[in-house]
Amino acid sequence: MPEIKVTPLGAGQDVGRSCILVSIGGKNIMLDCGMHMGYNDDRRFPDFSYITQNGRLTDFLDCLIISHFHLDHCGALPYMSEMVGYDGPIYMTHPTKAICPILLEDFRKITVDKKGETNFFTSQMIKDCMKKVIPLNLHQTVQVDDELEIKAYYAGHVLGAAMVHIKVGSESVVYTGDYNMTPDRHLGAAWIDKCRPDILISESTYATTIRDSKRCRERDFLKKVHESIERGGKVLIPVFALGRAQELCILLETFWERMNLKAPIYFSTGLTEKANHYYKLFITWTNQKIRKTFVQRNMFEFKHIKAFDRSYADNPGPMVVFATPGMLHAGQSLQIFKKWAGNEKNMVIMPGYCVQGTIGHKILNGQRKLEMEGRATLDVKLQVEYMSFSAHADAKGIMQLIRMAEPRNMLLVHGEAVKMEFLKGKIEQEFSIDCYMPANGETTTVTTNPSVPVDISLNLLKREMALGGPLPDPKKPRTMHGTLIMKENSLKLVSSEQALKELGLNEHQLRFTCHVQLQDPHSDADTLHRIYTHLKSVLKGYTIQHLPDGTVIVESIVIKVSSSAEDSNTKVLLLSWSYQVKTWTLFLEAAALPGVTTKLSSRHP
Amino acid sequence: GGLTFTFDCSAQNHVTSKLSFTVFYVKLYTEIHKPFSFRYKDLHVYQLEHPTQVLEWTSGNSVCVAGYSQSKNEILELRLPLKLLADENKSLCAERDFKVSHGGFTDGPVRCLTHIPGTRCAVTNDGLSSDLQVWDLGGEESDVIRRTGSIKGKRSASERGSRIAARPSSAPQVLHGAQISDVQLTELASGETLYKLETDSADPLSSLQFVSDTVFLAGCCNGSVYVADTRTSAPPQLSHSPSSAESVIWWTDAAAGPHPSSRRVIRVSSSGQAVVSDLRNLGGAGCQAQLDVQTPGRCSQVKVSWAPTLDDCISVSGFSGVVQIYNTRLWGAEPQEARPLFEHRGHAVSSQQTDDSVPTFVTSHIWHPERPRTLLSAASDGSVHVWDWVDPNRQGGSPTP
Repeated sequence: MPEIKVTPLGAGQDVGRSCILVSIGGKNIMLDCGMHMGYNDDRRFPDFSYITQNGRLTDFLDCLIISHFHLDHCGALPYMSEMVGYDGPIYMTHPTKAICPILLEDFRKITVDKKGETNFFTSQMIKDCMKKVIPLNLHQTVQVDDELEIKAYYAGHVLGAAMVHIKVGSESVVYTGDYNMTPDRHLGAAWIDKCRPDILISESTYATTIRDSKRCRERDFLKKVHESIERGGKVLIPVFALGRAQELCILLETFWERMNLKAPIYFSTGLTEKANHYYKLFITWTNQKIRKTFVQRNMFEFKHIKAFDRSYADNPGPMVVFATPGMLHAGQSLQIFKKWAGNEKNMVIMPGYCVQGTIGHKILNGQRKLEMEGRATLDVKLQVEYMSFSAHADAKGIMQLIRMAEPRNMLLVHGEAVKMEFLKGKIEQEFSIDCYMPANGETTTVTTNPSVPVDISLNLLKREMALGGPLPDPKKPRTMHGTLIMKENSLKLVSSEQALKELGLNEHQLRFTCHVQLQDPHSDADTLHRIYTHLKSVLKGYTIQHLPDGTVIVESIVIKVSSSAEDSNTKVLLLSWSYQVKTWTLFLEAAALPGVTTKLSSRHP
Repeated sequence: GGLTFTFDCSAQNHVTSKLSFTVFYVKLYTEIHKPFSFRYKDLHVYQLEHPTQVLEWTSGNSVCVAGYSQSKNEILELRLPLKLLADENKSLCAERDFKVSHGGFTDGPVRCLTHIPGTRCAVTNDGLSSDLQVWDLGGEESDVIRRTGSIKGKRSASERGSRIAARPSSAPQVLHGAQISDVQLTELASGETLYKLETDSADPLSSLQFVSDTVFLAGCCNGSVYVADTRTSAPPQLSHSPSSAESVIWWTDAAAGPHPSSRRVIRVSSSGQAVVSDLRNLGGAGCQAQLDVQTPGRCSQVKVSWAPTLDDCISVSGFSGVVQIYNTRLWGAEPQEARPLFEHRGHAVSSQQTDDSVPTFVTSHIWHPERPRTLLSAASDGSVHVWDWVDPNRQGGSPTP
């Protein structure tokens, strides 16, 4: 039976490392290659030993697809491609290709420089890995090879995030990566057409949440910023790149306008350069035919937000500064943090996850004394706020996506061992489809029922119709006899005679004979008659004839009786039948003559 | 789309003629420019897939909701966001979402849901008959809420359905009934009827609650209140309705608490009349007020509740998309117009309702049992809000815990 196999990779049951192996139509595809940020040892990488115990992965994978630039989806990419070894194609969208290497390099620096790790991928490895990347455009079908094709759909969530449709023959799978069903200020909502994949694979980490409204999150952010400004404090917001930072800028600008606030808002110059780059990317990305709501404006025409100069950090009075990098691990944001940390009127707002080893991670864990270079300690007196703005699909979002794509089966990937029986039940009930939830390392096999289109000759169809009976339907298939001719890529079903004619072959008839001995003192004619009567009584519904030429015919089976040469009480029945097995089996069952011993000796034709 | 940004800067919408123009202007100016964070310490806004009419605590940090459409519905147990509950490290906690910890399916609407204290059991009524459904809310191993049984009520068909009250302590027992003469106490495990209220009256009930482990209060739609003890078969104490008007419906709540002074009962009518009396002397002089409700008369699911930890505070919802909080200490013996101490207008302001002909109204609200000013409210558009309001009389400085 045709089937698709899905295996989420990786040891441990924790959330935070996406890497899924899919086997479909003889092809092996890896979806995402994430790093688990919580572990310091090999547990942070997916468990590639599932694919092969040693050696490179190139021969075992047809392609690798990365959904978006978050490290828990692409963090292990250089390790997998350069240290384990993979030379095949790596697919991702254009923005992902642009942003990935920057994040990977940042991450590498933190891991090696800050944490002093030695067995980690190098800058060169990141560069080499990215050379293998083939960028994807939205809604464009890409032929990976003759049989495997992929297509990217808009996922929302972050810039460049995509959902991927994978097709081999008539079987297909859709992988969502991380997506979002409610539009953002700068990103639209995920969208896919009714592609009816055999399996829809979705992350389900947030499936059992009901999200607090964006308004409330924004309200909280503004409230915190305002409270600090009111008491004369300075607010530092470390950000990675435009996207989220852009949203927060727009938010502050509007708030400042409404409340007629005077305190200055700055963003650092490093951000400006990156911003222009991403702005260009963003425009080409959103110029695709996607459903979106985004603010069309020049990214730097803010009335209240100005470019930052490092000397401003020493200015008295309240201010807000957006600075890079996002986890306070180096550069300008760290410099500013060091200056402002000692004053309790100030505040730092962390708008996202911080990797272990960074200052951001430490202060979010409540650390109030930090060790800096040269043994100096920094007292953290300013207020630390952790606010999450990232957009994920919740339970309602998953149901919406299923409604859009109409998959035949659902597969939820989640790292936690927690059972989500309720969601499974909900999906199964509402959509009448099966819902699978494999744990990491566990393979789910889904039997698909691909439909193979075959032309049928009119004559054959008419003949079948003439036989009467109910019309065939998916629940009650009907068997029919015919010959399947495969010519190039087309399939044709014709009658046997037509096939023989087309092939220029003669039809041959096969008849089988066998002799059955039985003891019966009666005459040949009487024995034959007894057989006839018996068969007539047990084989009801079959055509049984007693012909004057001394034969009994049951359907197409011919029976003759003759006496044995040696002994007249021994009768020999000659049975002969053509290649109609069904009737023969039935005949055998019913042929036990009462009070007669039989000895079957069959002879091949 | 464009950017919409709304914030509720004003605590009071009313401008009475008592203020002179200049004073009015200054007040309005400061209202707009008052830090908008003043009204709420915390505010969380959620959108359920389907609206709920029930909000019931199953623990200090989890609550049950359930749908009320005609056919299949979901019962969900929601865990409150960590950020709301974290008092110490609030700023380091980013978690703002509800977590659906358990869920199940019902065959009909859920009009009443009561949690049995000390258990993982809940009892529901569909508002169509007086039969009750019994549920297991699930534990650590499973996240499915399963129906485990049912309790037969007296009526196979009922217009409003039954009210349910769980006995506060002792083995799991529920008090239930659709009308006053039907009230009975049933033991869950055996299904045995342990007590029946002896009365002939067929008044339909609008509330039922225990005021002690054995004494309960049953509030009828016509405003009369019965108090009885499940230990005795003595007839109940009856306090007649404050008003003889026929088309008026009443809802009742009795305060719970250790202080004898908190043994008070409030009755609110569909015309906005509110009457407070002492439990020991229901017919006696208490205090009353005319509530400032938007659409008196047009209400179906009024809920009135005493605040568990704030003395003299009551909350009212169901008249519109607003939840109002009043301080009854300001009320006198004669009915006068009362102004709410606080109004939560979130459901009306940010309504998700698609059908404009029926305005959004609040279907239910509850107070957190320990956090003094934290409430949950649900509305007909599926919204659920969790809010921690700031007492406007205690403002001037940082919001009080």
